[in-house]
Parts: sequence; C-alpha cells; structure tokens
Amino acid sequence: MATSQLLPLELVDKCVGSRIWVVMKTDREFSGTLLGFDDFVNMVLEDVTEYDNLGNQTHLEKILLNGNNICMLIPGGEPGGEAGTE
Amino acid sequence: MSNGTAESPFSPSAEKSEILSNNPSAFLSQITGAKVAVKLNSGVEYRGDLQCVDGYMNIALEQTEEYVDGVLKNQYGDVFIRGNNVLYISSI
Repeated sequence: MATSQLLPLELVDKCVGSRIWVVMKTDREFSGTLLGFDDFVNMVLEDVTEYDNLGNQTHLEKILLNGNNICMLIPGGEPGGEAGTE
Repeated sequence: MSNGTAESPFSPSAEKSEILSNNPSAFLSQITGAKVAVKLNSGVEYRGDLQCVDGYMNIALEQTEEYVDGVLKNQYGDVFIRGNNVLYISSI
C-alpha cells in the first residue's frame, strides 16, 4: 500500500518534539530536542549539546543549525547513549 | 472542519501551531534584535546583536566580538557574515 511508505522527511517530522542526534559531514555532532525544520533540513534545536572533533562538549540553549553540513540524523539517539555506541 | 486530511509535513495543523512557531524562519524572527552567537564551520564564533538574517543565512551583526578557540580576539562595530560559512545561530 502506498500509505505504508514513509518519506525520509516524514521520519524527521515524526521526531519533532523529541531528542535527536545530528551527525555533521565534518567531525562534529549535536544532540538536542528538535523543535522544527524546513525543506533544507535546517533545524531548530533546544537544550543542545555540541560535540566537537576534540571531544569537547558545549551546552547551547536554542540554536538554528544550518542543514548544509548535516550528514545523518538519529532519532532518540545520544552520542555514547543507548542508541549510540561510538 | 477537516484540517487533518492530505497534510504534508510542512503544513502542520492548527493543533501543532506551537511547533510551527519553532520552524527556522519563526526562530529567526524571534531572535532578531537579540544577542546571538554565530558559529562558523571553521569553529570561529561571533557574538553580537543580530540585526538581520536572510534565506541564505547571510547575517548582519552589531557590537560583534570574535572568539577563536573560545578566546576573544577582535571586536567590530558592524559585521556581515556570508551565509555559506554559518554552522549555527544560537540565542544567548
């Protein structure tokens, strides 16, 4: 059935309001609560932790993340958490 | 009122209006005029008063401080940042 097909961006839409793990093209990751996104997959995230290439963690209240360098989105995941085994 | 039919993920229903208000463009209008941190892909961070943003994420800041590796390196009155360099815009 056609309705059983889930478009990729519909999967992202299902994640609105919940935690999401964002892996960038570069060696950088973000995890936070997804508040919204647009057609470019620019994302608004809340209560964010940024993980840089050196393993440093930075807390950010609310950000607009540029979608240009996003590689992968993992719903519910946290780096090093149950869904993420690095 | 049947607003639950044939909806795309990009036209949220009225019940989701609080979520709609958190879409990227709404977030930008919320933080325009406020103090923000803009991080570039290079890792350099600019903190200042957000004057305006456009669809390319080109950004105009005032009273800007430039942080390299978390250390204040420069201060500028007015700054234009070309959008392709922007990693994120954060409210502070």
